[in-house]
Amino acid sequence: MELTGLSTDQAPPISAPVRFFLTAPLFGVLAGLLIFFTDASTLMNRYSIESIVITHAITIGFLSFIMLGSMTQMLPVLAGAKMPKVGLVTKYSYILMVVGVISMLAGLLTSNTTLNIIAFIGLGSGFLIMLSATALSLKTVSNFNATVKGISTSIVFAFFIVLMGLYLLYSYISNDINSTHIIVANVHSVWAVFGFAVILIIGVTFQVLPMFYVAPKFKAFCKKRVVWLISTGLIIWLLLSAFYEEYTLFGKLWIAMFVWAFATTVWLKLSKRRRPISDVTVWYWRSASIFLTLGSFLWIFDEYFKHEYIVMVAILIGGFILSIIIGMLYKIVPFLVWFHLNAMGYMSIPTINEMINKRVAQAQFILFIASLIGFIFSFYMPDLLKVSALSFTISMILLEYNVIAPVLVYLKTKKTKPDFDMSMFEAQKELR
Amino acid sequence: MNTIKEFLSTDHSRCDEIFAVMEEKAGDSLADAKVVCQEFKDEMERHFQMEERVMFLEFETKTGMTQGPTAMMRQEHAQMRTLMQQMIEAIDANNKDKFFGLSETLMILLQQHNMKEEQMLYPMAQQHLAADSERIVSMMESLIVE
Repeated sequence: MELTGLSTDQAPPISAPVRFFLTAPLFGVLAGLLIFFTDASTLMNRYSIESIVITHAITIGFLSFIMLGSMTQMLPVLAGAKMPKVGLVTKYSYILMVVGVISMLAGLLTSNTTLNIIAFIGLGSGFLIMLSATALSLKTVSNFNATVKGISTSIVFAFFIVLMGLYLLYSYISNDINSTHIIVANVHSVWAVFGFAVILIIGVTFQVLPMFYVAPKFKAFCKKRVVWLISTGLIIWLLLSAFYEEYTLFGKLWIAMFVWAFATTVWLKLSKRRRPISDVTVWYWRSASIFLTLGSFLWIFDEYFKHEYIVMVAILIGGFILSIIIGMLYKIVPFLVWFHLNAMGYMSIPTINEMINKRVAQAQFILFIASLIGFIFSFYMPDLLKVSALSFTISMILLEYNVIAPVLVYLKTKKTKPDFDMSMFEAQKELR
Repeated sequence: MNTIKEFLSTDHSRCDEIFAVMEEKAGDSLADAKVVCQEFKDEMERHFQMEERVMFLEFETKTGMTQGPTAMMRQEHAQMRTLMQQMIEAIDANNKDKFFGLSETLMILLQQHNMKEEQMLYPMAQQHLAADSERIVSMMESLIVE
């Protein structure tokens, strides 16, 4: 009986998602250090090179790495979709994306055209390979439920975001930053946040929240319409921004209303969950819900203040996406380690709670939240920026530690082979 | 009439509810949770046997797939049986941390297992066994756990 075949058949090799998870917090650390060494007034301007570089260290280096990496793991479970040649695809797109994002950050900071060209090729090919592989695997899905629809919609937006991003990077290479650049940059950022990240999270939440916390299921209206309504809102907003700029507020209101409704629903479902546990992942769901609510409201009010608060909006909504992603990492990494080891026949493996030190996870959460609150108040008290950046950097170092810890358990168990117990499988054979 | 998919999906939710009650009780006192933990284990065993001794067999006979999705699901059932036994042992040893570590591990394993069944296996089974759906559901309902 091919035992390892059973598990590798249903799940990709553990290295496929884990290489992304191990790298992502390092970009978080880099972002924290860059904030530390940058002046508060420079960061107030969303179009300053420093702001763009820091934003992309987080959005590409941290968020997209984890989101795309976890897709390799989630698609087989949530949708029965298997990514073609998952080992090869993730390996090469990972290398291309790492080289691409580092070159981009360095290239933009130093205005180095060669680095920007390398970034253009690396990020363009890396993202397009990964997204195409994900899209191809989604084509094979037969049971197209709300979660799969959400993921598919977010992948469509992701293609547009990448193409717009490449156009923006090309403007730096050709040294031609014109008015179209500003319009595309605005659409690129809004679609990336709401079209890719928020819609992807909504799709996955429909499934994950009721199941893992035994919370009430989402209503059929919510599951059927919300993704569609937000997508329509994003297209309306795009058309208004392009042709009737004075009416963009209506597009924003449309998007913000449904996003806020989602944030509130998450809070309520969580309050009605049947499982009594309240671990750091529940705290992250709560903080995500608060950040998203505040962020979507401020995005509307920002319209009346001539976009003075757009960076604050970015911090709040970024706080929402980061909260969800970090909370998810705390569940997924130890589980993957446990699942792969158990499927190989190792029986006395630490439980998933034992793989990550609870106190370190709590410290990581507190430092992370404190840093975001600090970033917001540093608008009024610029002195707060440095200490907040430090807090953010340490929280990312702790996160890296918390991701490495389970991976070390995996490596150590495989190396020392404490107990290779086949009896469970023998018993199974007899039962059949 | 319940379809195979509806019948077994509803049973998943029923087991989840017992799981939640068990954790709640265990939070107050581990010793008090033993009865409900045993109940949870028994109900899960019943669910596993409804699948392994009835639905999976019918599916395997009809499709000829014995090493496909049902083999994977059987393996995960075995993993869960071991975890539930360890949970009972943790209660006997009055080790709360161990118990909650195991219950969290079981919860994630269980839910990703349920997702795979509800998203893939049950719709496939329903498709292949539609004509016999009523008979299979009634066989599962009347199953006596071994």
